[in-house]
Amino acid sequence: MATRNHSPGGPMFTVDYINKRDNDVGYVYYPEAEKPTTMTSLGSSTSSGTEYTVRVPKNTSKKYNIMAFNSGDKVNCSAWTQARMERDMSARRIYGEEESQDGAAGSEFGKKQREEARRKKYGIVTREFKVEDQPWILKVNGKAGKRFKGQKKGGVTENASYYIFTQCPDGAFEAFPVHGWYNFTPLAKHRTLTAEEAEEEWGRRNKVVNHFSIMLQRRFREQERGPDDEDEGEKSGKKKKKGGGRGGDLRIHDLEEDLEMSSDDSDSSMGDDGESKAKAKKDKGKGKGKKKKKKGGEHEALEDSDDGDYEGLEVDYMSDESSSDEEPEKGQPSKAEEHPKGIDEASESEEESEEEKPNEEETKEEEEEEEGKKTPVQAEKKKKKDSSGESESSDDSDIEGETASALFMKKRTPPKRGGGRGSAGSSRTGSRPGTPSIDSAATSNTLRAAASKLEQGKRPTPGPGTDSPAAKRLKMEPSSQSPAPSGKSTPQPPSGKSTPSSSDVQLTEEAVRRYLIRKPMTTKDLLKKFQTKRTGLSSEQTVNVLAQILKRLNPERKNVNDKMHFYLTE
Amino acid sequence: MSVKTEVDLSGVKKSNGVWLVKVPKYLSQQWDKAKERGEVGKITIGKKHGKTEVRFCLNEELTALGDVGEKDASLKVPRDHPFTMHAVGGQTMAAFSQSDTDGISLEGMVVHRAECRPVVNDNYMKLKKLQIRESTKPQRVSQQLERAVTTIFKPVANHDFNLEHDKKKKSEGKMVRAERQVVLDMLFSAFEKHQYYNIKDLVDITKQPVTYLKDIMREIGTYNSKGTHKSTWELKAEYRHYQSAEEEEEMQTA
Repeated sequence: MATRNHSPGGPMFTVDYINKRDNDVGYVYYPEAEKPTTMTSLGSSTSSGTEYTVRVPKNTSKKYNIMAFNSGDKVNCSAWTQARMERDMSARRIYGEEESQDGAAGSEFGKKQREEARRKKYGIVTREFKVEDQPWILKVNGKAGKRFKGQKKGGVTENASYYIFTQCPDGAFEAFPVHGWYNFTPLAKHRTLTAEEAEEEWGRRNKVVNHFSIMLQRRFREQERGPDDEDEGEKSGKKKKKGGGRGGDLRIHDLEEDLEMSSDDSDSSMGDDGESKAKAKKDKGKGKGKKKKKKGGEHEALEDSDDGDYEGLEVDYMSDESSSDEEPEKGQPSKAEEHPKGIDEASESEEESEEEKPNEEETKEEEEEEEGKKTPVQAEKKKKKDSSGESESSDDSDIEGETASALFMKKRTPPKRGGGRGSAGSSRTGSRPGTPSIDSAATSNTLRAAASKLEQGKRPTPGPGTDSPAAKRLKMEPSSQSPAPSGKSTPQPPSGKSTPSSSDVQLTEEAVRRYLIRKPMTTKDLLKKFQTKRTGLSSEQTVNVLAQILKRLNPERKNVNDKMHFYLTE
Repeated sequence: MSVKTEVDLSGVKKSNGVWLVKVPKYLSQQWDKAKERGEVGKITIGKKHGKTEVRFCLNEELTALGDVGEKDASLKVPRDHPFTMHAVGGQTMAAFSQSDTDGISLEGMVVHRAECRPVVNDNYMKLKKLQIRESTKPQRVSQQLERAVTTIFKPVANHDFNLEHDKKKKSEGKMVRAERQVVLDMLFSAFEKHQYYNIKDLVDITKQPVTYLKDIMREIGTYNSKGTHKSTWELKAEYRHYQSAEEEEEMQTA
């Protein structure tokens, strides 16, 4: 029974009607036309809607293909200003046998035929190099823009045909058959390790604490190979001997040396977990220092990092003295020192402004998973985690983002990497526009710019809670990393950090109770409230204390957005 | 070494939305039979129970399974095909076209995905049955022969090929030794083309008896018994002046 519901959209057909149509293939119901059609030139209007003609043009010279992107890459085609596409012919040389020219030395008479006969005998079938099947290389927005590689997806046209339906100005649809489907994936612009290098680093992952230096070392190696093969070879040899992955190849020698040394000190001053790691770092730092010496030349007399240098520093929890010891050694131009200092201050303030505790925990896990190739940014964080089980200072994402990139002239950190990390951190690294590699001259400029920016951005440091958290933070930092650690270890700027134990917020039951009464919070939120730098506790301690408090309070739980929230009602 | 083509982004700029429609094979085959103008059917877009419904109706003349024009067509391709529409679901897809002249242009972004499904009825089922039967037929079929094959592998006193070979040899006769100088010239011109030669190849080129040739080669060339160019003859160093060899020597002495 066909019942008709008259609704604003027009009369509807029920399902029954559809089923009844059986063998009346050519029979279409045309109930009273209620709506005038919009396309009066075409087809009649049926009450079910508007009708359009479908055309399949026969004579198109164009072949249509599909360009598919991954949803995670967030590609917006309309944002492209310019695009170039070409076939990736790099496979041609693999397929096309390279033939020595006739008449050239080393050619044999009849070589081609013999090779062919041999291949036939052994049944070797080489696949032809088909240009149509080669991947596309798509370059968007010119040199500094993104690059994509489009690989052909097989089996698309085997069982069903895909058509592209476009609507023409006259309202009819035109259907074009799709000849190929290409999946476009973004290409990394930053440098990556080759397979062999990656294998190597994987083998050393347990020994290497400072993953950050892996790429630096590689770049150093490459740099060396360029100018002077032999001479640099020695250096690189020495470098490698120094153990771990200490590249020490920092183009801004001045600052980085400073930073390294100071950060090494601060690192070494950490007494806790990562003692061995601290030692390793020290070694690396030493190695780096030595290398730097060679490179810098002028610093030879200044830094004499022998084995005994850092021993005493382990005990020193407050990094002030150690860092001050460092200062005279460096003898850097004042500007260089300013930068580390400034950046440190800035980083400190920024740290405070950020709530990155949850990040740390996340990143900790991530570190354990990811090994091997890391961008320096990520490697820094990792190293931090590795080196100290303590809560870090987030710092970094910012600092890493700006100064690190400026300092170490990394190529742009792929947003992916940033995305993998904690929220704030990731957003920061991810949102950073690709930083192209910079020369040393440019780097110093950007460094200064970054430093000044950070200085502007930094708030007047809050009084309490600083030296020891600062010291702790410093320890975490890999020596190769930013000036932040070194700055911290240097005599504090006017903002004057006070003694460690004072803190803004104490992790007490009262405080927790207050928060929970106010509004439901997750454990993460609570942790954010009690940042290590404010409470002066390590992350582990904080977690323990917080767990105890929660046990005592026994708050009520409810699930909001799939997250367990605690709350109290008083 | 392909030319980098500037992609024409006008389609995307205009935000041309296109549909990506998956069409069954038999339907696309029918579409291929369409006349010059290319009209294959009609699409109806309407609202049914609040949801947008799209159906495609194939033109009458294209429903015949056989060639267009045949009337018998016991089986007809179904006419009515509702489209199942999906949203693109996060994946960004664009359609780009490549023209014969190697111009690439981005035609538009895919805004909807659709699948063209036929209405399932008896007629359609019969069509499918036919298709399945055809596809399950093996490509290779065993045939029974009435009589055994007897034309090959009979024992022969002397094979045809051998006979021909002997005749050829006789007609050509033994190779005559040409003048030494003439042969030398031939050899040098041969070695200008390639560096290494097999003795057989040299015999072929010069048409000289092997012993004579070997004699001459021993005078002007050396025999490689080892290495990559095994068992080949090459000219002695003083007789050759290959370009690349010279460069190598220069590099080594430098």
